[in-house]
Amino acid sequence: MSSLSRAVETAGPVSKLHAKESFDPDDFAVPTGREEEWRFTPLRRLRGLHSDAGFDGKVEVEVSAEREITVVLAQHGDPRLGTALVPSDRVSARAFASFSEATILTIPDGIAASRPAVVSVRGHDADRAAAGHVLVEAGANSSAVVVLDYSGTATYADNVEFVVGEGASLKVVSFQEWDSDAVHLSHQHAVVGKDASFSHTAVSLGGSVVRMVPSVRYSGSGGNAELRGVYFADAGQHLEHRLLVDHGQPDCRSRVTYKGALQGNDAHMVWIGDVIIRVEATGTDSYESNRNLVLTDGTRVDSVPNLEILTGEVVRAGHASTSGRLEDQHLFYLMARGIPVDAARRLVIRGFFAELIAEIQPRELADRIMTAIEAELENLGKTP
Amino acid sequence: MTEFVRACALAEVPEQGTFGVELNGVPLVIVRSEGEVYALAEFCTHEEVSLVDGEVYDHTLECWLHGSCFDLRSGKPTGPPASRPLATYQVRVDDGDVYVAL
Repeated sequence: MSSLSRAVETAGPVSKLHAKESFDPDDFAVPTGREEEWRFTPLRRLRGLHSDAGFDGKVEVEVSAEREITVVLAQHGDPRLGTALVPSDRVSARAFASFSEATILTIPDGIAASRPAVVSVRGHDADRAAAGHVLVEAGANSSAVVVLDYSGTATYADNVEFVVGEGASLKVVSFQEWDSDAVHLSHQHAVVGKDASFSHTAVSLGGSVVRMVPSVRYSGSGGNAELRGVYFADAGQHLEHRLLVDHGQPDCRSRVTYKGALQGNDAHMVWIGDVIIRVEATGTDSYESNRNLVLTDGTRVDSVPNLEILTGEVVRAGHASTSGRLEDQHLFYLMARGIPVDAARRLVIRGFFAELIAEIQPRELADRIMTAIEAELENLGKTP
Repeated sequence: MTEFVRACALAEVPEQGTFGVELNGVPLVIVRSEGEVYALAEFCTHEEVSLVDGEVYDHTLECWLHGSCFDLRSGKPTGPPASRPLATYQVRVDDGDVYVAL
């Protein structure tokens, strides 16, 4: 009897999402574009990041943080690195093998950081590829806001690890405000401890190709993860966000909300939302949604939510995805009150993003993001 | 005004087939079909698939992966899933060489 029940357990379904992890780049074949995880990415625009580009370039990394947060530079091979994140694709594995110096931010146990810590990554040269690594350790019951601020131009692959201790609260904003020729591939992984809460907001506005892989795993019960995204793709821009929430602990919660707009020829947006609810993850409460506003012809959206549920004992597990134009009725409502069509469109788009931007801390950063979106909308008025 | 750039030797393109070249950073597929030579953008407008491996028949270039069809003369899609045209380029054959106007 007992052997029979064990047989049933082990023969149970095995997750097919996120099957492979390794630190060795050679464990991942050079992608050809036919693989499920690469089929939307324009590989020939990656300047060899996925194949064999040497990482001999550099970016400037600066950290601004209050004294209560310890900031150190760690060499390759530091035992703290790679404890949370294990690369799940070739670019991430290559970046892990090639970065020269990692930045480690530690928020001590029980400390509430008085000011957001900002890690600014500035690139000056897109011709030579660069690799980077950041680790953020949030001690038990600490709370902090960390901003990753990417700007300038670069061909950049990086890994960012977040270790969120028991009962801690960590809020992260990753702001991709690259120049228009930058290529950035980033894997950002969080391990959320018992009763901890983690929020991650990806804001992708700049760059030629930006491919982000935010992922979350839980190391104890009661964890809460909120993953949000705001993006605006212009002509020729490829913005890709591939999320993975791996529920392997009971009674954890996750929310994924990504919203974006696209305008111009060959503006391309990819959103992959993977959620795994493993057999152990009873009581999981999970929901993910992706909303896209298509503002002009010639754009393309690929939005694919995937949900793998291996236990029936869940509170909630759902997903939604929409891609559409501005609603005529909304525009009509405003125009009937004397607002010109261009202004009406901008108002509706601003409202569409406001829900997510309102959550962003610090306020100055939220204002900066809103201003950047306003600037994108100015272009919209000019191209009918 | 348009400048013709040498793409390849005519002999490199099969009678009824394709040849891939990159000219000034623009990836192209050179196609020969029924005695005519055409130059089109290399990548299918549906997904990032190279049409150098496509099939040529009846004024059509068909993507090998999902079967999108394009008219060789206009680049217009003639079969789904592609819905947007391929860029086409003017071609001149001179002394056994293929020249393309970019």
